[in-house]
Formats: sequence, structure tokens, C-alpha cells
Amino acid sequence: MKKLILIALLALSPLVAQVDEKVEVPYIDFPIKMGKEFATVQGQCLMCHSFGYIINQGPQSRKHWKHIIHKMKVAFKAPISDKDAKIVEDYLVEHYGNGK
Amino acid sequence: MQRRDFFKKAALTVGAVGLGATTAEAGTTHQPTDNRKVSKNTFPEKRPLITYSDRPPLLETPRDVFTSVLTPNDQFFVRWHLPDIPMHIDPNTYHIKINGLVEKELDITLHDLKTNFEQVEVTAVLQCGGNSRSAFSPIAGGIQWGNGAMGCATWKGVRLRDILDRAGLKKDAEWIGFNGSEKAAYYETPSFIREMEIEELDDHVILAYEMNGEDLPYLNGYPLRLVIPGNYSDSWVKMLSNITVTKKYKSLFFMDVAYRVPDNECECEEPEKKFKTTKPITKMNVKSIIGYPTTGMTLNHNSHTVIRGLAWDDGHGIKDVMVSVDKGKTWKKAILDDGKLGRYAYRAFRFPFKPSKYGELSIMTKAINKLGEEQPFAKDIKWNHGGYKFNGIDEVKVKVV
Repeated sequence: MKKLILIALLALSPLVAQVDEKVEVPYIDFPIKMGKEFATVQGQCLMCHSFGYIINQGPQSRKHWKHIIHKMKVAFKAPISDKDAKIVEDYLVEHYGNGK
Repeated sequence: MQRRDFFKKAALTVGAVGLGATTAEAGTTHQPTDNRKVSKNTFPEKRPLITYSDRPPLLETPRDVFTSVLTPNDQFFVRWHLPDIPMHIDPNTYHIKINGLVEKELDITLHDLKTNFEQVEVTAVLQCGGNSRSAFSPIAGGIQWGNGAMGCATWKGVRLRDILDRAGLKKDAEWIGFNGSEKAAYYETPSFIREMEIEELDDHVILAYEMNGEDLPYLNGYPLRLVIPGNYSDSWVKMLSNITVTKKYKSLFFMDVAYRVPDNECECEEPEKKFKTTKPITKMNVKSIIGYPTTGMTLNHNSHTVIRGLAWDDGHGIKDVMVSVDKGKTWKKAILDDGKLGRYAYRAFRFPFKPSKYGELSIMTKAINKLGEEQPFAKDIKWNHGGYKFNGIDEVKVKVV
């Protein structure tokens, strides 16, 4: 009988999460290089991902950055206009280019 | 029809990026980046880790954690694909739907899962297919991980097979789609859905709600994730919301384009001459990591040192781990642990050693599995465009003083 009661209690007791309230992911201010047209870069890139993604790539060729922006548009369907795509590309080449 | 046939079509739209002519650069590989420090920021339920992004969160485990078989939950790496992750889930109202080609649709609560099904455990390595991607030059698209986009835990949950049996598969059921709860900023962005062929399914595939005896941390997929031992982690869908059984394979971005390697024997290609067809990365290859010492440390001359680390593959099992302290000229066997956590777990190795020469010292490890497959030197790994499946011989450099 005791065992039965115990099982019944277990069945009724609510599950308790390790964290039983909203968790907060910290905001990290990734040190992106500032320049002209930063607002466009911020508007287009930051919608989906942090600047950590850009910085982590290191200095890269124009071809690389062009490819990445293309991927964001075609694969991930980011609504970036051709005009803004070019602005973002030039920005990345200027601040995160490797001269190629 | 096979997945790769679908991909041929997808490749036309996504893979074929028109780019201007540049001088051809050969694809090469080397040791991955190994000097990143943990961040000052801490994420929920985590100790400070190497931090690539906050949205979506991307966290890497530092090398020195890789001396013990089980990776602590609060040091376990984190990788999400889409920026919007539910940050509060009530375990009492959470439920998962099983629908599609089943006799009886199911709506299972966490409580049901924990009480109405057989509870099983498996210890398995969870490794990102892009782990060590920073080894590739020119860089392969994606996060430039060092060696720590991986971990190993004891996962507890319920067999997927038992859940599907309860629902009853219809005769023409062939594929299972797994939907996670992460969401994109734009409606049109592909959802993170993965698919498995029912015939790929074995009894080791589980829906896990517990990791190393605790709830899954939010960032590792609380309250429920898929566990597919032996496979790279791209298929281990986190925060499962739905399982749908279908007859036909659905063409999906995260299946057809991401997480694929060239469909040839070397799984390789040249940066300027990509191979036309691709295949999913699926099973892990044989690999090892040195957890102690780490690069930059100093060891005392003639003092007894125990080199420690881990080795794993896709479940065939580790036969030997070889250690070299002369840049790969000669190799000696390390001592392996008893392997009692099973064939999908890390095997810990140790190698007692007395540094007898002053100055720079290279320490290398090479794992060999029971099929006789062994790790190549880092420079002999062939390039692929996604930077997947790097398994070069590991190396750390220390100074003997």
C-alpha cells in the first residue's frame, strides 16, 4: 500500500526544471570595425546573427564575402536588395578583406 | 530516389554561385586554431566557454576539458542554427507530436515519456560535422571551430523505435522528419528539420531528456533532443517539437545543402573545382584529442608526465591510440581505459612520458579503430568546401625547461 501511495504521489507531482524561469542569453558587444555605411551592415546582418559570425571568419577575399552574402540571400532567404548586398560586400572587403 | 538526386537540383540554385575569375588556390589543411581563450561572458547553465556568437549561441569547449570520458554539462559545446530559441519551456505542458503516416497520432508529454515507456541510457559522443573547420585553407564556409565542437554524455530517454511502435507505422512509411523549436528571423528561412530513413533507425536512437544524470541544459536542447550515436550532431535535433512520418523525402535546405561532402571516395575537391555531387556527412570518422598537456605549457625536464586524451569513432570501437614525441617519426602505444561506457563513448588514453630533451616538444596522437582505419597527418587531410570531417592527427606543442 505504501508503495502504491508513493507511486501515486510521483505521478501527481509536477516536473521541476533545473531552471524554472526564462533563461537569458547574454548580449555580447562583438568588436566590429566601424565605418561608413555601418547602419546598412547592422540592419542587414544583425537581423539573423551576431557580428561574431563575421569576425570569426578573419580577413577574407572579396570572392569569399560575395559568396557568403549570396548564401544568406539564396539559402537563408534574407531579403537583402542587390544595392544593399553590394554595400555590405564593400564594407566587409574594406574592413575584413585580405587584399585579394 | 536517393537524397543525392534531389541535391543535384538544389545544387543548381545554391551551389552554383557565379563568381568572378581569380587565380586558383589549392585546398590545403593544417592543425586547427588552438589558442582561443574562453570568454568573460557566461551563458545560461554554462561555465565560460570559447564564444563565437551570442545570437544564435555558438560555444566551444576548451581543450583541457578533454581528459575525461564524460564532458560536464556546463562545459558542453553549443551550436544553434537560427536566432530565435525558446527561452522558457514548462516541463508540465511541453509535449511532442507524432503524426503523418501512423495508425494513431500521439501527443506525448514529458511525464508520459518518463513513465509510460521503457527508460534507456546510452553514452555517446556528440560532435559537430564542422568540428576543427579552422584546419582548412582557403577557409571553408561556416564557423571556424577549433577542436572543441564536441562532447560526450550519458543520455537517458526513450527509444525512438518504441515511440514509433506505439504510434504504429503505416505500410508506406519510409522517412521520419524531426522538427526542432528554433526559429528564424524571416518566415521564408528554411526551418531546422532533419530527416532519417526508417531503415537507418536502430535501437540506439533515442529521444533524450537527461544528460549525465541532469535535465538537458537549455542550450543543449531542453527538454528533449534526438540522440543518434555514431552520427555527427547535425541530425541530433534539439528541443524537439514534432516527429512526422512520411513516404517521400522532402527536399530541405538543412538536408540537401548543408552538412554534405563531395560524393567521391576521398570526399574531397578543389576550391576552384567543386565536385558536382554530394552526400550527407552521417557517420563520424576515427579521431583523437590531447587534453593534457595543452599548447604553450611548460613541462619540467625529466619529470614524470602523463599525456592524456580521448579517442572515438562512429561505434566500431577504438583499437589503439599511438603517441609520438618526435613529430610522427616513431609511435608508441598509449594505455586505453576499460571502455565500459560502450562503443559510442570516448575512450580515454594515457601515456606516461619523461621529457629528456630541453626546448620545444611536439606531442602527437593518432587513433586507430577496429576496422584498422587511422588518422592521417593534418596536412594529408583533403579539402572540402564545407570544412567537414577533419580528423587529422592531433598535435600540441610544449616547452621543456
